[in-house]
Amino acid sequence: MKIEERRGIKIGVEVGGTFTDLVSVVGDEVIIRKTPSTPAQPDIGAFAVIEEAGLNLCKVTELVHGSTIATNAVLERKGARIAFVTTSGFRDLLFLQRHDRTSIYDIGYAKPQAVASREDCFEVHERILSDGTIIESLDVDDVRTCILPLLVKGGYGAVAVCLLGAFANPRHEEQLGRLISEALPDAFVALSSQINPEFREYERASTTALSAYVQPVISAYLSRFLETLSKAGFNGRFSVMQSNGGRLPAAAMRSNAITALFSGPAAGVIGATRRAALSGIDNIIALDMGGTSTDVCLVTGGKPALQSETSIDGLPVRTPIIDIVTVGAGGGSIGRIDEGGMLQVGPESAGAQPGPASYGQGGVRPTLTDAYVVLGVMRPEAFLGGTGKLDLEAARRVFEKLAEQLGTSVTRAAENVIRLAQANIVRAIQLISTERGRDPRDYTLVAYGGAGPLVASAVGQELGIDTVMIPPNPGVLSAYGLLASDIARSYGRTWRAIVGTETPAALASAVQELKDKASEDFSKFEIEGPREFFLSCDMRYVGQAFEVSVDLDPSSLDQLTGDELKQKFNEEHHRLYFHSSPEREVEVVSIRVRLTSPNRSVPPLRESPIERTSDTANVFVGDEVVAHTLRSAWEIEGTPISGPALVEGYTSTTLVPSGWTAVRDEAGNLLLRVNS
Amino acid sequence: MKRILEPADQAIISHALVAIAREMGAKLIRSAYSTIVREARDCSAALLDAAGRVVSQAELIPIQLGSMSLTLAPCLQIYPVDTLEPGDVLISNHPFEGGQHLPDIFVFQPVFIGDRLLGFSGTVAHHLDLGGGAPGLNNDATDVHQEGFIIPPIKFNLARDWENGLFKRIFSTNVRVPSQTVGDLEAQFAANAVGVVRLEELCAKYGFDVVTTAMEGLLEYSERRVRAALLAAPDGTYYGASYLDPIEAGQEPLRIQVAVTIAADSLTVDFDGTSSQISQNLNCPLASTVSALLSSVKMVFSGPDVPFNEGSKIPVTIKVPPGTLLNPVYPAPVRARLEAAHRVYDAMMLALSTAVPDRISATGYNTTTAICLSAFTERGYRVYIEVFGGGWGATSRHDGCDAIDSPLTNCSNTPAESLEDQYDFFRLTSYGLRPDSCGHGRTRGGLGFVREYAVLREGVQLSLYSDRFAQASPGLLGGTEGANGACEIIRGDVVIPLATRAKADLQKGDRVRISLGGGGGYGPPNERSTAAIERDFREGLILPGSLALYGYTNESAARR
Repeated sequence: MKIEERRGIKIGVEVGGTFTDLVSVVGDEVIIRKTPSTPAQPDIGAFAVIEEAGLNLCKVTELVHGSTIATNAVLERKGARIAFVTTSGFRDLLFLQRHDRTSIYDIGYAKPQAVASREDCFEVHERILSDGTIIESLDVDDVRTCILPLLVKGGYGAVAVCLLGAFANPRHEEQLGRLISEALPDAFVALSSQINPEFREYERASTTALSAYVQPVISAYLSRFLETLSKAGFNGRFSVMQSNGGRLPAAAMRSNAITALFSGPAAGVIGATRRAALSGIDNIIALDMGGTSTDVCLVTGGKPALQSETSIDGLPVRTPIIDIVTVGAGGGSIGRIDEGGMLQVGPESAGAQPGPASYGQGGVRPTLTDAYVVLGVMRPEAFLGGTGKLDLEAARRVFEKLAEQLGTSVTRAAENVIRLAQANIVRAIQLISTERGRDPRDYTLVAYGGAGPLVASAVGQELGIDTVMIPPNPGVLSAYGLLASDIARSYGRTWRAIVGTETPAALASAVQELKDKASEDFSKFEIEGPREFFLSCDMRYVGQAFEVSVDLDPSSLDQLTGDELKQKFNEEHHRLYFHSSPEREVEVVSIRVRLTSPNRSVPPLRESPIERTSDTANVFVGDEVVAHTLRSAWEIEGTPISGPALVEGYTSTTLVPSGWTAVRDEAGNLLLRVNS
Repeated sequence: MKRILEPADQAIISHALVAIAREMGAKLIRSAYSTIVREARDCSAALLDAAGRVVSQAELIPIQLGSMSLTLAPCLQIYPVDTLEPGDVLISNHPFEGGQHLPDIFVFQPVFIGDRLLGFSGTVAHHLDLGGGAPGLNNDATDVHQEGFIIPPIKFNLARDWENGLFKRIFSTNVRVPSQTVGDLEAQFAANAVGVVRLEELCAKYGFDVVTTAMEGLLEYSERRVRAALLAAPDGTYYGASYLDPIEAGQEPLRIQVAVTIAADSLTVDFDGTSSQISQNLNCPLASTVSALLSSVKMVFSGPDVPFNEGSKIPVTIKVPPGTLLNPVYPAPVRARLEAAHRVYDAMMLALSTAVPDRISATGYNTTTAICLSAFTERGYRVYIEVFGGGWGATSRHDGCDAIDSPLTNCSNTPAESLEDQYDFFRLTSYGLRPDSCGHGRTRGGLGFVREYAVLREGVQLSLYSDRFAQASPGLLGGTEGANGACEIIRGDVVIPLATRAKADLQKGDRVRISLGGGGGYGPPNERSTAAIERDFREGLILPGSLALYGYTNESAARR
């Protein structure tokens, strides 16, 4: 069995907005493919890329899939028709929201559109308080005679149930869930006490409603996918990426769809983390720069930062998600002078169509890509390994007007656009590092995506980072990350206690309950192999509304004292907010447990050979032409090359500024370092 | 000679200055203790230059827009910049020294780079209770002294004088919930410290001179953006008036009168004709009037993307006669100043509706309804304050937003589950949209909403201030008016209506019901699209009784 597994084919297929990427590993052999995505039915593109790679699905032992299907179902409002059931008096929870607005000077402000319609929202008589006390029992007769007939009549694909206080006491929701399932055996029923047992009713209701909304879509998609797989003779394991950076067997995902939101960027972060680990680096800032935007994420000690809440299209979702900040700076970002005479770059983008002017598809506005073409960093003769076309004259033309407005030369205008785009990325990184009490200088910048390696060293320099890592084939790192990821599932619940001497013991038993549930689930999903638990607690000073997440070692809770727990929180609070108040009482609000089945075999990845026509390239630095050493990414081995240099790969170009040295290390990663 | 910066440097430093103010604001909210700051986000953060001009401000709450410089100026008159030292704090809440109302405490910290003063980081937060005649809110006050603890512009050194110092001891003794109030104030100090550190980092990278030049450039930039927008608007003088409910039934309503003159790229606003100041707490201090006015100018003329700063004020001239509701003099009480501030916004919209009808909205409910429930319990004073908006006015293209805070404020609600957790003397029993409370029109106003509380013990006090119980939000260009608001105590079979500014002793078992009104409609209802009418009807937002207004009969709706 073991030998066969090693010989088996492993495939990661990542469906992005524009391209569907495949990374396949058979022993030491790595296959990489990119095909256009098929947004209407993403699985068509996924199977097309597998076919194009010439892979026989009968021999595939492991297939990991990442897609935007959940995200798109919400963004395009193409989820199931759902009913929403809540406590009497609170029917409008999904529409009242939080009574505030995200853009405060907009006269025509509209709230985020809920995923349920008001006519599909129902009330049941019951009330449970925040401490779990039942003060009004569920009126079952009323449910049977009034609510169930309406639910049956409505023909809903899914029903979301969120009752007040259910995070503390799930009894009424479970009762109601059973009644609804009996009446509507085909409908998916999402209970807030199972999806997200945490307080604050609107956020919990929104999460539950979204879960109900995407569940039938995911379920149908995965069923279709599995059917095609089994027709092709596939007999391996099929798993799906989640927003928390771990994957789950498809069968488990069909009852846990909310975790599939935003899984794409998560896979890239995992890919970057695993590649860095091979070089012995475990503190990284992941920088994924594509055509329209850049995603950045902080990874400390090999663990990507997680956040427990995010929003999609303005609707709150409470599910653990890798803490990624996105900024509108990508290769297609447009540079312009605004009405007040200020230079701006992005978030407006030339997108895939028309694309940058240098792509020759009708783009007439200066983009970041055009700026690099103007400077000579992106060379027409080397684009896509010499197979693509770049129009230098078109790029210069679109920059002439901007240069005139700025009263400077074309190359300086291009440099200004690049610097501003880089600064936007720097600010995004500061948001996830300095603003969260972390010093970026303690991290290695890992850059990928088509444009990441172009900006990496400059962004690093701005932040005082002296080491930059570029993984091989940086354009397909997300698909690679699928293969490199662990199986993981997150569990959380509200658990309240003011920290005292007994707290650690009580905490340990609450944690044990979550651990038991997690272990049970893993057994149910037939996930074998070693298991690892991770634990964090959301804590705050009594009276605060926002919690600070404190990581704890789940195996040594019995040795922890109440004072030590407080101390850990005080330190975290001080790091984040520049102050702490040790004299104040501290409370635990939520506990979060994550169970993983670690993936011990990180697959290889390497550059594809491409032709190189010259040893040097001329690049503009200001108005001066500076000769840069030119190398292909695949030919750089142990011998360091000194900047200024360009390292050209099939999917991207790495800029090595003067004062920096680039070397490919034993793990196969390209490392750029500031000369000491 | 004026320095010229690289275009990218000007943009990068400008963005950084805005980002610093945002970080300060976000950290203030996340580390604060009282619901009014942490949930309602009634606070603001800004960076100011050495001359005390706001350079960048976190976009948190419009009513604190652009007035921080007015509060800092009197501080600097007493403590000139050359007497300041690193670690000093300037603090004030004085309504007649550039402040707003007493709960808003302004804190400034000078930023020194070496021995040169770069500017100030500043925050303001609404504090839960600053003493005065009643917990949280004293509606009976006839002068400012009865409203609470007045902090004139003072200076102390944070490291040396705060902990166990004179000010902290006097302050914490004179407020009813010292743990939360002192916690919030310390969160302000910490947020200011964040601003100082970030500005130091910025100067370490770019240098003092480049940063000050970029600050200047950012002020000029905002000014240019506002001037460009004004230039595009038609010249002329436009008039608008709005009204606050009369103090007593049968009296005249209070009038806010505005004359707006657009001349090329500048704007003059004259409030001559506005009612005189009164001895109730509806007076609106000058700083609040200025903020309300600048917010409406920003919303109409510069849109959301122009960073607000002192530069945007330069093209605007403001004339407010002293002794009026909008520029009261000592000792006027000012606690409920937001109501008049909202009417400044309303009058501006009406005046500009003839100049730029596509950029304004019909009048919204635009009223702050502040409810305060308090009790003295075994654990000391417990004070709950929450503020509510209503439905927004419709614009030429969009329906007004339903059940949301007013344009000048941006407070979120407190979840029912958080309330239960924090307060044991009342409970929220329902919270829902209020069907048909909108003004009807081609585009309809936003709906109001209803909240109901159950009182769980004896000895609970209610205080309330609000408006629009008597006069609704008018519609525009053929649209109809929104519904009024109301607050009632339901005691058994008896319903006791309350006035807009009220105080009541509650009994165990009472229910308190607050109804918030809707916004005005825009354009004739019979021009509304059939699809929109039917959707509203199907969802129960419009009731059968209103269908006729839209030229729709019950029968025709029922057939569908």
